[in-house]
Amino acid sequence: MIRRLLGIPGRLWTGLIGGFARSWQNISTALVQIWANKGRSILTTLGIIIAVTSTITVVAFVKGFGDTMTKMVRGYGTKFMVVRPFRPGEDRRMGMGSVSLDLPDIEAVRTESPHIQRLTPFVFSEQMEIVYGLEKATDVPTRGVTEDYQVIRNYFVDAGRFFGPMEVQTSAQVIVLGRSVLKQLGCDESIIGQFVHVNGHRFQAVGVLEAKGSMFGEDQDKTVMIPYTAALNLLPDRRRWVFFLAEATSEAELDDAEGEIRRVLRRRHGLQPGQPDDFEIDRQDQNVREFEKIRNIASASLAGIVSISLLVGGIGIMNVMLVSVTERTREIGLRKSIGGRRRDILLQFLTEAVVLCTIGGLIGVVLGYILTIIASLHPQMVAIEVPLWSVALALGFSAGAGVVFGIIPACKAAILHPIEALRHE
Amino acid sequence: MSNNGRPLIELGDIEKIYRVGTELVRALRGVSLGIAENEYVAIMGPSGSGKSTLMNIVGCLDVPTSGTYSLRGQDVSRLSQSRLARIRGRQIGFVFQTFELLPRTTALKNVQLPLMYTQVPHKKQRAIAALTRVGLLDRAAHRPNQLSGGQKQRVAIARALAQEPDIILADEPTGNLDSQTGEEIMSIFDSLHADGQTIIVVTHEEDIAARCGRVIRLKDGLISSDVRTDKAMASRESFAAASPVLV
Ligand SMILES: Nc1ncnc2c1ncn2[C@@H]1O[C@H](COP(=O)(O)OP(=O)(O)OP(=O)(O)O)[C@@H](O)[C@H]1O
Ligand SMILES: [Mg+2]
Repeated sequence: MIRRLLGIPGRLWTGLIGGFARSWQNISTALVQIWANKGRSILTTLGIIIAVTSTITVVAFVKGFGDTMTKMVRGYGTKFMVVRPFRPGEDRRMGMGSVSLDLPDIEAVRTESPHIQRLTPFVFSEQMEIVYGLEKATDVPTRGVTEDYQVIRNYFVDAGRFFGPMEVQTSAQVIVLGRSVLKQLGCDESIIGQFVHVNGHRFQAVGVLEAKGSMFGEDQDKTVMIPYTAALNLLPDRRRWVFFLAEATSEAELDDAEGEIRRVLRRRHGLQPGQPDDFEIDRQDQNVREFEKIRNIASASLAGIVSISLLVGGIGIMNVMLVSVTERTREIGLRKSIGGRRRDILLQFLTEAVVLCTIGGLIGVVLGYILTIIASLHPQMVAIEVPLWSVALALGFSAGAGVVFGIIPACKAAILHPIEALRHE
Repeated sequence: MSNNGRPLIELGDIEKIYRVGTELVRALRGVSLGIAENEYVAIMGPSGSGKSTLMNIVGCLDVPTSGTYSLRGQDVSRLSQSRLARIRGRQIGFVFQTFELLPRTTALKNVQLPLMYTQVPHKKQRAIAALTRVGLLDRAAHRPNQLSGGQKQRVAIARALAQEPDIILADEPTGNLDSQTGEEIMSIFDSLHADGQTIIVVTHEEDIAARCGRVIRLKDGLISSDVRTDKAMASRESFAAASPVLV
């Protein structure tokens, strides 16, 4: 009835059912056999277990770190470039020689590049000292920027406000502070409206930056931002050494935007064709790509390690299966005498090898999960999670090892002569 | 169903030569033999006379070096390994001196084992019926190491019966058992024969051979005598279908 509905011819149908029933029987025979030699089975699957455990854990780690990194880099925004002066050759000390990048350069880029939608000069110093009352924070990374920086870098205040264009234009002495700096100053959001001293100059706190947490041990919240004009007043020798961030109209138009910047700056710096650039353009999307490359290399070397341990594990499996075939020669003889064909015997022992390897694979998966769970208990650990595809891959490969390394013992069993097998001592 | 009057088993001038190093061992030197449906045959002879060799050929475990063998009218002396396996699975039931039960496997599963290689319906019911036939249904869940020698051999007989074979071949089935237990095993064979089963038993014991309707004696790879007892005479039908080659 059902077979009619499915349109499967009768013989094929019974063949299929017979096949399923037989493979189930083979699997249960294999399980009985493996269980009867528990210790031996575990030891031989050790190689597989190690291979799978390491795959699961390493993949989870690489993916965990990778996702965090990618998220971080993406969080920075991927449509912007950092442009900085750069002296080709050995001597690249600040402000030396003719190399420079100044505000008129930046203005020219702003007006002449249709593919740039936002732009901010960037004056950076790590040697700022901030004083609030009796408290003092030293070596605070300080960024001199415009209000556009927030949008380009996707980095906002969550209390108070950011400084506005007027304040940038008038070199207003206003400051927004990161959470860690606040803590160092023994203060909270109530600092808004109060005054701090930056290298001795009085600045009014107008906002507090959202918390970014720490990344690879570096506290991202230990930072302050002030208008770049005010920063240049604090660091006058930087006037001819200004970096800038430029955001393209879209990620796809980054190439165009980069070309425009390059053209404008080369023209303004009077560079002849063939002369190298005296500036450097650092693109975030390239960093992402660079990072993916590292990730792929890590995956490739993992594949190497795994295939070696799978090989070792597989040889172990082959060895124990050969022993098993020898031990069970009489059983093979009996099975042949009651109608077992070569292919039946082959399939039985192949199934056993595959089941053995798959069990090793399952143990490895469980161990891998346990290891990642233990690792994620560490407070500074990034979020890691075992991707399902790695479990599928690991199990697939261990079953595959079972087939590859089980085939020789299984053949050895299959070609035994029934009488000789039954006579085996 | 005596197949147009032809015997179930027809051996024609069977030779089996083993090569050991450079030496040739002629285990069978021209055996011709016919065995009809529902015969109960004992094969006797001194050690090394070729009894087991003959059984192996009849059971399609081995092929003769020369000669012909037809089983139920089909020439099986030159078949491929896989065709032979098929015949062993469907038409032959072996009972070994050493039982050959799978350890760690229940009696029922042992009996079911041959059915794994054939496509028949109701495998479990068949196995249960076979175990019932040898009076061991209450031990179905027992493993071989929980059974006595006689019980093991009964499970082995049930295993041979499960595939409902044309012939049961038993090579010294009581060889590992004491005489009392051997007696029990033989009475099972007697009753199977009474139900119409064709049985060939290799034995060294005269009183076991005496239960059979026909005793074939081998010597140095040749049949030295082939005798039907009165018991066999009573069964006219099987006598009529008996071997045309030797009387
Ligand atoms: N595989 C083999 N290789 C070589 N010679 C063999 C082989 N099998 C049997 N023989 C020889 O064939 C002859 C017949 O052996 P077979 O086993 O048939 O004797 P048997 O009548 O069954 O003896 P027993 O009563 O001791 O079991 C013997 O001489 C034996 O040595
Ligand atoms: Mg023998």
